[in-house]
Amino acid sequence: MSDALVTKRSRKQAKGRYGVIGKAVDELDERLGVAKGGRGFLDKIFPDHWSFMLGEIALYSFVILLATGVFLSFYYIPSSAIVTYHGSYLPLDGQSMTASFASTVNLSFAVRAGLLMRQMHHWAADIFIGSMVVHMARVFFTGAFRKPRELNWTVGVTLLTLAIVNGFLGYSLPDDLVSGTGIRIAYSIILSVPVVGTYLAFFIFGGNFPGTAVIPRFFILHVLIVPGIMLALVVAHMVLMVRQKHTQFPGEGKTESNVVGSPLFPVFLAKTTGFMLIVTGVTALLGAFAQINPIWQFGPYDAARISYAVQPDWYMGFLDGALRIFPSWSFHSFGHTIPFEVTIPAVIFPGLVFGLAYAWPAIERRVTKDNAMHNLLDRPSSRPKRTAAGAAVLAAMSMLFIASSTDVIANFFHVSLNTVLWSMRVLVLISPFVAYPIAYKIASEMNATRGAGRRKTVNVVTRTEEGEYVATPAPAYADDVAHDLAPTPVPDFIEVTPPEQPPSDGVRTIDR
Amino acid sequence: MSTSRRVRLCAGGLVAFVILAPLAWFSAAGAATHPIYQTGRFNAGTPNSSVVIRKHGVITSYGDSAITYNAPSSALAALGRALYLQNCATCHGVDANGVPPAGTTGAYPNLVGLGPATIDFWIESGRMPSSDPRSVQAMRRQPRLTHDQALAIAAWVNSLSPSYPYIPTVNVKDANVANGAALFALNCAACHTIEGDGDALARSTFAPSLRNIPATQVAEAIRTGPGNMPRFTGNLSDFQVADIVKYVTTEIQHPRNPGGFGLGGLGPVAEGFVGLLIGVGGLALIGFWVGERQ
Repeated sequence: MSDALVTKRSRKQAKGRYGVIGKAVDELDERLGVAKGGRGFLDKIFPDHWSFMLGEIALYSFVILLATGVFLSFYYIPSSAIVTYHGSYLPLDGQSMTASFASTVNLSFAVRAGLLMRQMHHWAADIFIGSMVVHMARVFFTGAFRKPRELNWTVGVTLLTLAIVNGFLGYSLPDDLVSGTGIRIAYSIILSVPVVGTYLAFFIFGGNFPGTAVIPRFFILHVLIVPGIMLALVVAHMVLMVRQKHTQFPGEGKTESNVVGSPLFPVFLAKTTGFMLIVTGVTALLGAFAQINPIWQFGPYDAARISYAVQPDWYMGFLDGALRIFPSWSFHSFGHTIPFEVTIPAVIFPGLVFGLAYAWPAIERRVTKDNAMHNLLDRPSSRPKRTAAGAAVLAAMSMLFIASSTDVIANFFHVSLNTVLWSMRVLVLISPFVAYPIAYKIASEMNATRGAGRRKTVNVVTRTEEGEYVATPAPAYADDVAHDLAPTPVPDFIEVTPPEQPPSDGVRTIDR
Repeated sequence: MSTSRRVRLCAGGLVAFVILAPLAWFSAAGAATHPIYQTGRFNAGTPNSSVVIRKHGVITSYGDSAITYNAPSSALAALGRALYLQNCATCHGVDANGVPPAGTTGAYPNLVGLGPATIDFWIESGRMPSSDPRSVQAMRRQPRLTHDQALAIAAWVNSLSPSYPYIPTVNVKDANVANGAALFALNCAACHTIEGDGDALARSTFAPSLRNIPATQVAEAIRTGPGNMPRFTGNLSDFQVADIVKYVTTEIQHPRNPGGFGLGGLGPVAEGFVGLLIGVGGLALIGFWVGERQ
C-alpha cells in the first residue's frame, strides 16, 4: 500500500474497529489484562423488574449526599466558640451564637447556592434513608435475604443503622434551637444506660452537656468516620451483589441457575444513568422549591431556651414516639437511678428492633429448616407468615412514628393531648396483632386464588334467542398471557423448581 | 483566742449584712399594698412608667416611648353597662363579680379590678362573649362586638374599681426585632413554638397560633396573661414587650421562606411527609415507569 492511497477510509481502518477508545482500552489491556474480567463485568445481567431500582434511589442519594456535603464543608465552621452575628438576616443581628450556627446561617444567606446545597443535602438525607427502608422491605418481603445472601442483608442493616446515626449527627451540626434540643435528648438517652451511662455520656460529650467538644466531635464523625465506613460498606454491598449475582422473580425462562435481564453495558448503564439524573433532579427540585429546616427562624441553641412542638427528622421518629408514649417508670434505690422511661424505649427497644433485623435470616432458617440456595424470589403472597410478620413490625413502627407527633395531631384535630397519648399507647400495642392476621389472610387468599393480582378480563354478555343473557369471559390480555407465571402450588418454604423453558426473543440469559 | 473570735464575729456580721441588705430592699418593694402606689420591678405596665397624664386628677394615660397605655373614655361607661348586661351578665353576673344570676350555675371569673387591657383582649380576640362557656379554653374567632363596644365595656368595668394595665398602643417602629427574636425564644417559644404556630398543651388546653394577632392584642396578652398564659410584668420592660411585638407581627406573621414553600411551619412532620411521599414515593413511581412490571 503506497502513501498515495491514504484516504479517509484507510485512516479509519488504521484506527481499528473501536476507534480511539478501543485503542486506549487495548493499551490498558496489554498492561493490566482488564479484558478478561471487564468483559464479564460488562455482561453482568441486571433483572429489569422495577422493584430492583429502589436500592438505586438510595445509592444515588448517597452520591448526592457526598457531593453536596463536600460543598457544605467548605463554609461550615465546626466550632462552639461564641460569636456575635452581624449578617444579612436582621432578626438575628447582634445575637450571640456559636460559630457553627453563624456559619450555617451565613452559608444559607451569603454563599451563592449555599441554601440550595444545604436543602438538597437535607432532602437527600431524608430520601436516602426512606429509600433504604423501602429497599429493605422489598428484600424482606421477597425473601431476597435467604441463603446465600445473608451477609449482604447484614451489610444492609448496618448501612441503615449508620445512615440513621449520621443523619442525626448532621441534623445536630447547625446547633440551632431545635437540633440543640435533639442533642439534649441524645445526652439524656446516653445517661440512661444503666451503670455506665454517666461515664459514656461524659466520654462522648467531653464533660457535661452542652460543653464545647460536642460540635467538633459530631462534625468529624459526620463528615469522615461514619461516611467512610458507609462508603466501604456500600462498596461491599455492590461487590457482594456482583459476586453472588442478582435474584429474580420466578417467571418465563427464569430458573434458580440463571439470571434473566439486561446486561450492564449498554442497556442497564443507560437506564441507570438516566435514573441517577432523575434522582438528582427530584432532589434539586425539592431543594429549590420546598424549604427544609429553616434554622434562621429557630435561632441559635441556648440551654435556657426551648421550643415546643419539636420533632426529629422522620427516621428518628419511631424513637421519639417511643419516648413520648412510654409511661414514667423509674428505679431509685441503693443511691442509683435507672430511668426505665428512657432506658426501655430509647436504648433497649431500638436494640431489639435492629437485633431482630440482623437475626431475621437466621431465625427464618431455623423455623423453616430451609437450608437451600435461593436465587428465585418469593411473591410476598406465597409466604403468608413472613409477609404477615413484616406487616406487623411495619405497623408497630408506623404507629410509633405517628406517636412522635402527638402534639401536632392534638392541635390539628382539636382533641385532648392526653387522649392522643393514650390512643397511641393502645394503637402501638395492638397494631401488630391487627396487622398480622389481616396480612396473613390477604396473602394466603391471594396465594390460593389463581390469577390473583392480575388484570381481570371483561365478560362478554350476549343475549340469546330466548332472551336469556349469558356472560362469557373474554380471552386474557396478550401481555398477561405472555408473562404468565409458572404455577406455584407449593406449600410454605419448599424450593420452587419450575420446568426449564427456553428464554423468549430479546432476553439474554447467562449461566451462573 | 478572743481577738480572733471577735474578728470572725465582725466578718460574719459583715457577710450577713451584705447578703441580707438586698433582701430588705426586696421586701420593702413587695410591701406596698395598693397597685396604684406600688413601685418596683413587679409592676411594669402600670403608671410607675415615665410619663403619666392626668385629667381631673384621674390617670388617663401613662407609658413611655415604647408603649402608651390609654384608659377607655369614662364617657363610654353608661353605654358599656348596657352592652355588658346584654352580652356578659349571664355568666359574669350583673355586678361583674363572677356570680351569675340565680338559676344559672357555674363559677365564672370575677372581672372587677382586672384592668381594661384584659377586658379589651378577651372581647376583641372574639373569645368573649363565649360560644361555649363550658369549654376548657375559649377559641379565637371573629369578634362579636366592635372595637368601640369593647372599649365601652372595658370603661364600665374599669369604673367599678379603677385598675391597670390600660389598653396598650405599641410603637413598633422603633423596636428592635433582633432583641425581640431572642426574647421570644426565651419567653414564648416554650408553648407557642419557635415558629409561633402554637400547639396542644396538657388535656384540652392549647397555646394558640400567633400568625394573625394584631400588635395591641400581643401586648395585651403579654401584660395580662389570659387563660393559662403567665402574666409577664416585672421581667419584661415596655421596650422589651415592644421588641417582642415587633418580632411577632413581622417575622412570625410574615416569615421569610427563601428556601421555597414553608410547608406550613410544621417542621419535621411536614418535611417527613414531603420527603417520603414526593421524594421516595415519586422516585419509586419513576422506577416503576422505567422498569419492568411483571
